[in-house]
Amino acid sequence: MASSQHVLLSPAELAYLHASLSLTPPIRPDGRSPTQFRPLVAETGILPGTNGSARICFADGTEAIVGVKAEVERTRTRHDFPSLDEGAEGDDDDLEDNQHDVVKGDNDWVEMTVEIPGYRDDDAGTVFLSAMLSEALLADGEFTKRLWINRRFHWKLYLDILLISPPLSYPLPLLSLTTHLALLATRLPRLKSEGDEDPLFDDDWAAAAYLYPRPAAKKGSKKTTSFATPTARPPVTLLVMAVGNNIIFDPSKEELAVADVALAVSVGESSNPSSSTAMDIETEETKGHHNLRILSVRTIDPPSRLTPPGIPNASNSAYGANAAGAKDTEKKKQQQEQARTAESEAVEGVWKAPRGGAKPLVLAALVQKVLEKGGVADEVLDALDGVDLN
Amino acid sequence: MPLDTSAYSLALLRVDGRRWNELRRIHAQIRTQAAADGSSYLEMGHTKVMCVVNGPSEPGPRRGGVATGGGGGGGGGQSKNAEVAVNIVIAGFSSVDRKRRGRGDKQVFELQSTISQALAASLHTHLFPHSTINISLHVLSQDGSLLAALINAATLACVDAGIPMTDYVAACTAGSTSTYAANDEGADPLLDMNHQEEQELPGLTVATLGDSDRVAVLVCESRVQVSRLEGMLAVGVDGCKQVREILDRVVREKGIKMIQEGTVERGVGLNDMELD
Repeated sequence: MASSQHVLLSPAELAYLHASLSLTPPIRPDGRSPTQFRPLVAETGILPGTNGSARICFADGTEAIVGVKAEVERTRTRHDFPSLDEGAEGDDDDLEDNQHDVVKGDNDWVEMTVEIPGYRDDDAGTVFLSAMLSEALLADGEFTKRLWINRRFHWKLYLDILLISPPLSYPLPLLSLTTHLALLATRLPRLKSEGDEDPLFDDDWAAAAYLYPRPAAKKGSKKTTSFATPTARPPVTLLVMAVGNNIIFDPSKEELAVADVALAVSVGESSNPSSSTAMDIETEETKGHHNLRILSVRTIDPPSRLTPPGIPNASNSAYGANAAGAKDTEKKKQQQEQARTAESEAVEGVWKAPRGGAKPLVLAALVQKVLEKGGVADEVLDALDGVDLN
Repeated sequence: MPLDTSAYSLALLRVDGRRWNELRRIHAQIRTQAAADGSSYLEMGHTKVMCVVNGPSEPGPRRGGVATGGGGGGGGGQSKNAEVAVNIVIAGFSSVDRKRRGRGDKQVFELQSTISQALAASLHTHLFPHSTINISLHVLSQDGSLLAALINAATLACVDAGIPMTDYVAACTAGSTSTYAANDEGADPLLDMNHQEEQELPGLTVATLGDSDRVAVLVCESRVQVSRLEGMLAVGVDGCKQVREILDRVVREKGIKMIQEGTVERGVGLNDMELD
């Protein structure tokens, strides 16, 4: 599934759309503000057979389901690693103390597949999508550490992402948000064994721990929220595009068709010590002040590059005076020259596909806008907090 | 997990506590998805499937990446009949142990072509020449009777899409309690098998057309005594009638709701319909 889907818009329509999106403030076809997301319906825990699952429906009808399944897998032993016998020979207490240093993950422990109906699973677009989503997840190396059981075993996490609806718009934000929710809802059985024993788990699902643990409910304030906000959270990948001087979030398919630049920005929340000490402060105060950081940025080839260009009236042989008397060769020559200039220069109101890469300044502005305090990323994360995770 | 089949003869109760002629809980919804022409969600016990129908529409440009799946039913894009293209995605998380099915899985391919042919026979494909009806099915959870659940979900989604069809294609499974010949008189036919029973016992999937006894699909993949086949088939056909009632109720309830909400106008001839 490529970002460059076929959009059935004429050059005139594209020019109109581009012009209205370049206004200040931009006028979007669906009346949203530039930073507004499409409304969505979300639920979690829909599949009891998985460790965690989520479903999101966007208002335009696109729908995705993500299921997370975990399996225990034996960790491949490394040659440079001190063997277990050596460690046992020494003193056990020392080992126990050092356990936190030992915790390390491997990117192989996470397997992500994206299924889009009508597209092969080895389609370039599908592979690119899953690469982008897993890249954000694995970027800081913190995630795989959560899958560590002991030195001999780890969890292997399978993330299966299904797009249920036909891909009406570029599904990246939808898939990313659904994955985010599914990971938040993921629970792993509680470990009963200790140390480097073969892992033994508590078969009580109610005792299972969340992959992203949330702080213990405060005793004093019962009424605040029925569900606690997790301290750290998985990344969210947002689709941002620039048209003229405007930056537009969550573009629809038509808007993406006139984008000058399109970016997929993955944002994570860094867990800093200052926020954990400030845990006693009311949650309302901390809201909207997520400690955001960029995990990865990818440029997406916007479909606008493949759109057919418009022809200005001056060089249109089937229009006006040109159509009547374009017989003599003098005029024809002139016209050809005009056509050449029209091809290279932008003419007001005539659509021309953008050329060249993204300018560094534009990229910086896009990234800046994502990270803004109280900006879109904050808003999205706050909104996802509102989803009941059970 | 070995199923203790001998326990059945003691209390005449199956592993999940059902009698021989009881269906599992069937829960269905239609119009679950706004973007598609037709959609449905169906649960048969713990088997959960989703169906999305698009079309009938002009067959799009056949790019290399587009897999049309089992386009067995009906003709191609140039024929007089609409092509019914079925695409099944079995999610990796659907079974107890995660098992990834590749694109060229033979079993999936057979499911696709079975569903495609069954629906092509029931849908009025001759009304839509040179077009394609795209049915994509998603398996979210598996617990036996997969083909039956897929057929039922596809039927509901086609109803939702408003594609003219002769009647519902309702499907269910039937099995037999005993696998060996000696115990012939003691063998009971079983209705609607779950995954555990499917592993152990012989079974078949049958789909009928509406209220009639006309069999649209009959798939039997296990070895079974010929003498038992008749009993199994009779129970299966009976189950299909029950399933049809359930599907019909789902469609009617949704229809009434849509009229009450004013989504669609009350059509002619609907005045006698109970709207309460």
